[in-house]
Amino acid sequence: MKTIPIVSGAKPDTGHIEEYSANFVQFLLRAEAECGVLAEYNLAGQETILLSGVEAQEFFFRGSDENLSRAAAYQAMVPVFGPGVIFDAPPDKMKSQLKIQVDALRYQNMKNYAPVIAQEVEDWIADWGDEGELDFMDEFLELTIHTATHCLLGKDFRDKMTAEFKTLYRDLEAGLQAIAFVDPYMQQPIFEQRDRARERLEEIITAMIDERRNSDIEYNDALATFMTGTYADGSCLTSTEVTGLVIATIFAGHHTSSGTSTWMLTELARHPKETAAIVEELNAIYQQDETLSHNALREMPKMESFLNEVLRVHPPLVVLMRRVINDIEFDGHAIPAGKTVAISIFGSHRNPEYFPNPEIFDPSRTEPETMFAYIPFGGGRHKCGGNAFALLQQKAIFSALLRRYSFEIVDQSDSYVDDLSGMVLRPKSPCRLRYKRRVS
Amino acid sequence: MKIRVDLDLCQGHSVCIDEAPEVFSVEDQLDDYPKVKVLNFQPSAELQNQVRLAARYCPNKVITLIEDNE
Repeated sequence: MKTIPIVSGAKPDTGHIEEYSANFVQFLLRAEAECGVLAEYNLAGQETILLSGVEAQEFFFRGSDENLSRAAAYQAMVPVFGPGVIFDAPPDKMKSQLKIQVDALRYQNMKNYAPVIAQEVEDWIADWGDEGELDFMDEFLELTIHTATHCLLGKDFRDKMTAEFKTLYRDLEAGLQAIAFVDPYMQQPIFEQRDRARERLEEIITAMIDERRNSDIEYNDALATFMTGTYADGSCLTSTEVTGLVIATIFAGHHTSSGTSTWMLTELARHPKETAAIVEELNAIYQQDETLSHNALREMPKMESFLNEVLRVHPPLVVLMRRVINDIEFDGHAIPAGKTVAISIFGSHRNPEYFPNPEIFDPSRTEPETMFAYIPFGGGRHKCGGNAFALLQQKAIFSALLRRYSFEIVDQSDSYVDDLSGMVLRPKSPCRLRYKRRVS
Repeated sequence: MKIRVDLDLCQGHSVCIDEAPEVFSVEDQLDDYPKVKVLNFQPSAELQNQVRLAARYCPNKVITLIEDNE
């Protein structure tokens, strides 16, 4: 058996955690550059092997649940989602919960969401006036909490949503730092805040569930799907579990989508020529279809290539992990149980074999043949179940936005950079852009 | 035209049954995502366009088509 090279710079006891916490994106790039396909590092005791390159990534995605556990690798999510939910549920219950979650995002349900998102955008820009300047990171965080709650929890909830809900949600998300993957239960103010927020959110959502259970009104949002979903034995989810699924679903889509929208708008502002072509594409579609149907949103080649390139250069999730449960082997290397394996989406998207001149933003790239090089939503059987919703949402947002306003960057182009303080990549706030109403 | 599906990738998003209900169905599984079932692996000429749309819009790229001229 070949030995797996260890990334340089490990400190006794803590390993690489300091460098990793400071800038995990750069650390993972360095690990691959230094060690190649397999690179071992140590995060305060958790020995992790980074798998790089398309073959190794396919091996990661095709690994069985019995050998490679997501639940064990993502215990940091347990206090966020709540007890008995997803990564804290027994394997059969976890599968049922994920199935119920994806059910809410099925095509037949998704058709209801496009007009909801469009309406949210209209409400958002209603008081913009002819021109102005905004911090769009802030704006998109707000917009996507509106679209997510509206689509998932329905109009009633969205209309009554208080500032408290948003604050709670922010506190909950703030608890997810690199350190949470070492021990999410240590005494830290951010974790105490996270737990208080989780508790209060459960009160709010449980009250809503109770209200619906006592009402005759029929709902067709995600909450309704979660409330009627059943386990294999026919039993329903408890209120704690339904709350957990609501939180998990918003969580999965909030920072990721808002970060992507903000990068999307920033790159559009940086690339006026490509933007003009996208606006032309939109105008042609709107000429035939004034209300913009779900079907029209599916076929926007210019917008899609641009969005794909945004997701390549700025993938919201940088790293995916699995805990090794049974000893496995890759390319003559033994990977024993107890270690963690990881892949870097960010690194994969900069693999020059599939993306020549990877640092250049180029929407005219063609997608590689292999499914395991361009992986903004992961891959294999655990690919993000919200991928279709996420793409639909971006297209709905930018269709409404770009036809009405044009955008320019305010600061130096190279001052728009990633915020590396959280686990989800997004532009550093403030991300200031200037908007101007288009004259038709 | 021949149809191949990679069930490992299927999460039951059900775009295919909207496009080509004569060719695809989605069946519930015990403790797993619902999975596509191909009702007709060699669809007739008049169904092929719908099948192409199903493959094109499948969010997980579960469906691969082998066209007759390939």
